[in-house]
Amino acid sequence: MRARDLVADYPVVTLDTPVLEAARLMAEQDLPGIIVRGDDQLTILPGTETLRLAVPRYIMDDPALSRVVDEGHADRFLGSLGNRTVREALPQERRELPVTDPDATVVELAALMARTRSPLVAIVEQGRLLGAVTLQALLDRMLET
Amino acid sequence: MTPLAWASVAVFLVAYALIATERIPRVAAALGGAGVMLLIHATDAQAAFFSEHSGIDWNVIFLLLGMMTIVGVLKETGVFEYLAIWAAKRARGRPFRLMVLLVLITAGASALLDNVTTVLLIAPVTFLVCERLAVSPVPFLIAEALASNIGGASTLVGDPPNIIIASRGGLSFNDFLIHMAPMVIVLVGVFVVLCWLMWGRRFRFDPERAAAVMLLDEKEAIADRRLLWQSLAVLALVLAAFVLHPVLHYSPSVVALLGAGVLVAATRVTARESLAEVEWPTLVFFAGLFVMVGALVHTGVIGQVSQAAVNATAGRMEVATMGLLGGSAVVSAIVDNIPYVATMSPIVEHLVAAHGGELAQVLWWALAFGADLGGNATAVGAAANVVVLGIAARNGTPISFWEFTKYGLIVTVVTVTLVAPYLWFRYL
Repeated sequence: MRARDLVADYPVVTLDTPVLEAARLMAEQDLPGIIVRGDDQLTILPGTETLRLAVPRYIMDDPALSRVVDEGHADRFLGSLGNRTVREALPQERRELPVTDPDATVVELAALMARTRSPLVAIVEQGRLLGAVTLQALLDRMLET
Repeated sequence: MTPLAWASVAVFLVAYALIATERIPRVAAALGGAGVMLLIHATDAQAAFFSEHSGIDWNVIFLLLGMMTIVGVLKETGVFEYLAIWAAKRARGRPFRLMVLLVLITAGASALLDNVTTVLLIAPVTFLVCERLAVSPVPFLIAEALASNIGGASTLVGDPPNIIIASRGGLSFNDFLIHMAPMVIVLVGVFVVLCWLMWGRRFRFDPERAAAVMLLDEKEAIADRRLLWQSLAVLALVLAAFVLHPVLHYSPSVVALLGAGVLVAATRVTARESLAEVEWPTLVFFAGLFVMVGALVHTGVIGQVSQAAVNATAGRMEVATMGLLGGSAVVSAIVDNIPYVATMSPIVEHLVAAHGGELAQVLWWALAFGADLGGNATAVGAAANVVVLGIAARNGTPISFWEFTKYGLIVTVVTVTLVAPYLWFRYL
């Protein structure tokens, strides 16, 4: 089985899309992350990175503070995303992108997801985006066989 | 001086310049300098590793190691977050009251912990509370960095320069409590007044915003009550052992190591976890510095500089004291005060011996006050300042070098000016 057998259409956003809009897309379509079309390459914005931008930095620095915030304020924390864009949510450090070609086997896909800690892999053929393979789809197919 | 002595001076100056300008990591600069000193035979393994006067000061290294381990466990308990939020609620959301309480907590904590750890713990809570009050966190962060440097001056373990001074000068924990702490308490009081003049009078109270602060639940900050009480008990024992040195005769480094050992043995924290909290690069930096300065001692450079200083101040203790206080403040404002104190300590040791031992102890206090308080003058004068600037930038409220420095300079000038008459009337 190859990536081409598992690939499915997947929504794509740009670097200038507001994070809140990307988050809404993920929530509505039950997606684990989203594909981002960058200036010269594709990348993936995992759902957890969206949360990283919504959680104030001082709470990331000191996790004990997340416990002292009262329920009312905690319920509204996603509002702090404001107009911040996907560009700001992407990790700053350069790292391997979860992008591969349609001939990748399930082992290649699984290894790529594990290595890049990404719940989805973008499938690209000769520079053209075909769609993505999600962790859910990969696990479903692997457990069937 | 011999060619080797000149060569050791050249190596030292290059390494010092690299540390000051941060062109390369300071650990690399100190280790590189130490390596070259060994390479050119300005010092040797026997002196570097085993000499009390021209080698690595293991008392300093192990005291830092022990305290870092204890603090590493203590900060996991959430006690600092608890205190800061408790303070915010006690202040009932009034910004200046909050600033005063945070300053007092920071200065008090810095007396027991190193300054960087203190600001790392207090700054995130400051952001949370200031966000609720809709006030800028910048004045609070600057005040906390300045308070940590002032509070740290009060005890032997409060600031790394004090640890070096205590080890070199044979000074005890109680010596610092008797000679440094009373004046530091006065300085903290003066600093609170300065906070009012610099920021407090412009703060505005908003009752609605204050109500939002009262919703924070400080009790939730404590993740593990058992660990909290165990850590506080060990910290109390360690402090008691520091104070009881005249009876127990355990040196501070031994006390800190034993305390760290007891803490790891008695709690759920593993040795691996506690050692992960130790700032190993800082300890290696200290070791490199000691080898470099030891090489200057070994080649006779420090002896000659010391003799020149003794001749220049012969019979004029007040000149030596005030010169050391002011000079240390100026140098520490520009470069990291740790390498400065590591270099000056052997020179001050000579001066104290030459000026009559016990009576000349004031020179150690002049060095400690000058170096500790001088660090407040600029944004790069002390490690706590640099850390606060970094946290502020990461949280989207950058503090410029000059914004910090304009307040830091005022505080340094006022505090050092007040220390001068204290030293004069008490010791000269």
